[in-house]
Amino acid sequence: MNLNIGLDLGSTAIKLVMTEGDRLLWRSRTPTAPGQEAAARRLMAGGLAGLGLDESRVRRVAATGYGKKLFAGADKNIDEISANAAGIFKLSGARARTVINIGGQDLKVMTLDDRGRILDFKMNDKCAAGTGRFFEQAARILDTPLSEFGSLGRLAETDLELNSTCVVFAESEMVSLLARGAAKEDIVKSLNHSVARRVAGLMGRSNLGGDIYLDGGPAQNAGLVAALEDELMAEIKVVEEPQFTVAYGAALSLLE
Amino acid sequence: MSGPASNERRERVIKKAADKAALEMTWTLERLRGRPDRKPAYDYFLKLAADGLSPAKAAERTGRPVVNLMCLQAPLELIHAAGFQPFKVFSGSPAEGGLAAQGFPALMCPMLRSVLGAVQVNRFPGSAAWVLPTTCDWLVKFPEMLKLAGTEIEAPLHWLELPHLKDGPEGRERWLDEVYRLKFFLEKLAGGRKIDRRQLRASIAVYDEAWRALGALAEKRRRGQLAAPWFFLLTGAFFLDRPEHWSEAVRRVLPQLEPGPEAPRVFLAGSPIFLPNFKLLWLMEEAGLAVAADDLCSGERLLPGGVNYSDASEFGLVSALAQRYHQGCLCPTFIDNDRRVNNILGPARQGDFKAVVFQVLKGCHPFDLESLTIEGPIRDQGLKYLRLETDYSPEDSQNLLTRLEAYRRTLGEDHESQHRP
Repeated sequence: MNLNIGLDLGSTAIKLVMTEGDRLLWRSRTPTAPGQEAAARRLMAGGLAGLGLDESRVRRVAATGYGKKLFAGADKNIDEISANAAGIFKLSGARARTVINIGGQDLKVMTLDDRGRILDFKMNDKCAAGTGRFFEQAARILDTPLSEFGSLGRLAETDLELNSTCVVFAESEMVSLLARGAAKEDIVKSLNHSVARRVAGLMGRSNLGGDIYLDGGPAQNAGLVAALEDELMAEIKVVEEPQFTVAYGAALSLLE
Repeated sequence: MSGPASNERRERVIKKAADKAALEMTWTLERLRGRPDRKPAYDYFLKLAADGLSPAKAAERTGRPVVNLMCLQAPLELIHAAGFQPFKVFSGSPAEGGLAAQGFPALMCPMLRSVLGAVQVNRFPGSAAWVLPTTCDWLVKFPEMLKLAGTEIEAPLHWLELPHLKDGPEGRERWLDEVYRLKFFLEKLAGGRKIDRRQLRASIAVYDEAWRALGALAEKRRRGQLAAPWFFLLTGAFFLDRPEHWSEAVRRVLPQLEPGPEAPRVFLAGSPIFLPNFKLLWLMEEAGLAVAADDLCSGERLLPGGVNYSDASEFGLVSALAQRYHQGCLCPTFIDNDRRVNNILGPARQGDFKAVVFQVLKGCHPFDLESLTIEGPIRDQGLKYLRLETDYSPEDSQNLLTRLEAYRRTLGEDHESQHRP
């Protein structure tokens, strides 16, 4: 067995996948912290141990994400937009035509053709509003694990208006809402909707053709998916473990 | 708070910004000097930039008093014929911008912000006058902002009121009046010495030669023989010496140029790029993109083009200059600006490039809007289009690089093999 490894060294997490051909064999992640190369190597060692293989079975490694150049052992570097497109296209069974990725500190929207080629893409600029970092901040303030955001949002009874998706300003807005006795469920729902509005704003006049997929860590938040569907008036699909699509796409790029 | 302590603190802040700006320039020039494609003929331009982007240096070098300009509307030939050295005021310094950041709108044209800071660090002293066109709102408010920053233009200031409609006779006539007003201002500034026909023809010839040299340089870049950072170093040095010397130096560069590495070729449009802020140029190179052509007022649009005249009277020459500078300008400040998109599509049809990167400096609203209006016509012609909004700070470099790398993959030869289902 010869393994390819895709590493996505993102701003909030390092994701690793191990593949044989295009078959996904292993995936794991760890929070981003100083010493990214060492953390990535630990993930690799864990993956090899999990598969019962040794390092000699590793054929090639592709790195992507903001930290891709920090991993000296990569055979290939690929930008995360291209890796994302490759990964989600394959995982969607070649159905994805519009891809919304919410990463740790950026939002991306891609339009793909029927061969998975990128026709167009948009990305937020340096502001981290409405990204994974925003949700992390909210989870901390609300003292609620991110994994519960989907179910909590469904329990909301009141429509609150959260005006800001700015990581900084939203903090004071959330604190203020909590101080006024607002329910966490309602705040979470409003968070999801405010991020959905920001995504819709980024998409602007983009043509929403074909199947729309959401990926990145926040795609696991069912409340956000519902809010996006409401904002875009379209069905949003999510693949299993959507935070690994970029790393998987990096691994696929080794087959080119 | 005011008083000696406050003044002293302010002086320290200004000195710190000036030192940092000098370091930014040093860093950019060092990066250029260390490139493998450096040619001996570039040394003249590197030295000009290293000596400082200041009108005082330009005055010393040319032996002429300097008239500071902003934008491209004031006919350089007229200023030159009056015995002055035109000097385009610009700044690409984040440090100078940082100095001016305090107390001004957050979303402000980074170029004007940095120029404000440059004035505060006293980078533009020693000029005989300033000529400011009413190109955009930021420029119109420039003297007021200077006052708010606690400084002001000490030399005489002349406004050029720019008609924003170019193609009608009314706009043309009003602009001709403005150019004549500039002529009278310059003559008064020169102690009453009239700009005569002979001087004007000579100056037109000087700038015509510079324009031809710039054209030859642009042609080399189109053929992949001149990397964008060098091109923008050369254009950035234009106002630092006599135009004749600049043209001669460019002519010395031309035969030394040779083909660079293969890379997808793009057209760079939008807001200008000024020394020392070559951020986008470095990132484009890092992403594997080559600039084949541009429509930046700091690049290929530095000079508006040859001035054609059949009437060699003084009126005929001034009219021809006025027309050239008005009609030839592709600045998005104009209402009737269809030529801008044609200027991109023309060379694209000749196969010079297959993609456009449009840079918008945050707060530069005319370029921001035009980046949206020209997108459709460009895409309709089958060209790829990438709009990048940025400023002078380096903090979005990684974000920009990600986009440029992805864009590069959509253009490159690996496109065909890209992730098939």
